[in-house]
Amino acid sequence: MVEPGITEPVVIVGAGHAGVAVAAALRTRGWNGRILLIEAEKEIPYERPPLSKDLLKPGAPEQASPLRTEKFYVDKGIERLAGLSVDSIDREGRAILLADGSRQGYYRLVIATGSRARPLSVPGAQLPGVLALRTHDDAVELKRSLMPGTRVAIIGAGYIGLEVAAAAAKIGCDTTVLEFQDRVMSRVTSAPVSRFFERLHQGNGVRFVFGAAVTAVEGSGRVERLLTADGSSYRADVVIAGIGVLPAQDLAEAAGLECRDGILVDDACRTSDPLIYAAGDVTRFTGSFDGTSQRLECIQNALAQAERVAEDITGSPARSPEVPWFWTVQHGVRLQTAGVRHPEDEVIVRGTPAEGKFSVVYLRDGRLAAVDTIAGLADFRPAKKIIASGAQIDPAAAADPAIPLADAVRAPIPVR
Amino acid sequence: MSKNEVTVIDREGSAQTIAWEPEQTLMEALRDNDLPVLASCGGTASCATCHVFVEKEVFDSLGERSEDELELLVEAEGYRECGSRLSCQIGFDSGLSGVTVTLAPED
Repeated sequence: MVEPGITEPVVIVGAGHAGVAVAAALRTRGWNGRILLIEAEKEIPYERPPLSKDLLKPGAPEQASPLRTEKFYVDKGIERLAGLSVDSIDREGRAILLADGSRQGYYRLVIATGSRARPLSVPGAQLPGVLALRTHDDAVELKRSLMPGTRVAIIGAGYIGLEVAAAAAKIGCDTTVLEFQDRVMSRVTSAPVSRFFERLHQGNGVRFVFGAAVTAVEGSGRVERLLTADGSSYRADVVIAGIGVLPAQDLAEAAGLECRDGILVDDACRTSDPLIYAAGDVTRFTGSFDGTSQRLECIQNALAQAERVAEDITGSPARSPEVPWFWTVQHGVRLQTAGVRHPEDEVIVRGTPAEGKFSVVYLRDGRLAAVDTIAGLADFRPAKKIIASGAQIDPAAAADPAIPLADAVRAPIPVR
Repeated sequence: MSKNEVTVIDREGSAQTIAWEPEQTLMEALRDNDLPVLASCGGTASCATCHVFVEKEVFDSLGERSEDELELLVEAEGYRECGSRLSCQIGFDSGLSGVTVTLAPED
């Protein structure tokens, strides 16, 4: 597989889900040259989803689950540099410069630096007790601050905010979620799903404040309260800002690679420099199914792009693109989504939310564009296939949970 | 300690024997041995890309499938009522050493 004359390694910057998957996929595809995986964090690369879920449960171990065993990297000849950040890229010299002053040449460079929590930018945001959740260290710090009776204020009712709210409520914290919009998860789902999860949280003791614009964090030496634009004040011992993420694109930007809220990549995950790839949360690309420019913050995309990078580096044929999908678990209830919903899609509820298990299908121009499944996965795989096929759906059949989703597909219109 | 191994029949029908390390799920053992198991959910019974068929005796010795696992499997290619499992839900068990599993077809 390695051409004679290749001596420099494939260098991967960032050992999250995408970076590790690039290394693994290169070996699976027969790449036998050097692979160097560089990560600023010291830990063995770990799973991120449990940080906001299982790790926060009372009594759960503080260790993050490793993505792969130590032995895996050794067996596969994947060299790891942990606890070292990359300062810059010398594109002309095909090398990176590391924080310890060393220089490392590359055959191909893969940027998999992911995203970072969007920082809260109001006065007092630097006070101790104001936290974000992105890394294992963040999760451990958060876990240690959540005690029975702790007053927890969460800013943002997205996946992270709500998962933390569920964990805090379970521990017995006095939990309030402040959200600027008028419902939870408004960016990613429709009102029926939002309402369902709001009731679920409220039933578990979580309070919501909607339309809340946080203007300041106050306290002497440590957070004591939050202020909102309408003049209200909320007492808090701990504040968690779950207000989204920013692509960690600084390295790429400084090297002159094209970025626009994400490193721009083509359908082979190549950046504007053909020797440099990017994969995962840090990328912006054109969606295979809806044709829109997007940045997806999910494991599915990280792994799919990692495969794509490995295919391109090794000259392997490309697999057909996978419909993106996402999941969250709150109070033990799973919301799993296939496809990317647009706000203007037609919304069809399938089943009865009051029964605790239902789906919502999203139609765009009569075609299935996305599905949310709540507390059940029966529609998930059929929906992924239908979305990928671009088939037309009969809305009446889709609304009837007794009819399998696959049977709601309209027969192709005969060509005369 | 005796070595724990499992025989895997891939989607082309060829068999190979791989090591199954303690503390790994079967999915992790398959994936770390370069078998084409996408495991896009990382082992949380969310995606069904690690679907395998196990023999009847093995199937009976494993615990019940969770509702999520079953709902995913029923819709999976080639589902077998007494044989389909998500390999991410099969924890290491030295009693399973030596068994044969077959990768289910991809969707």
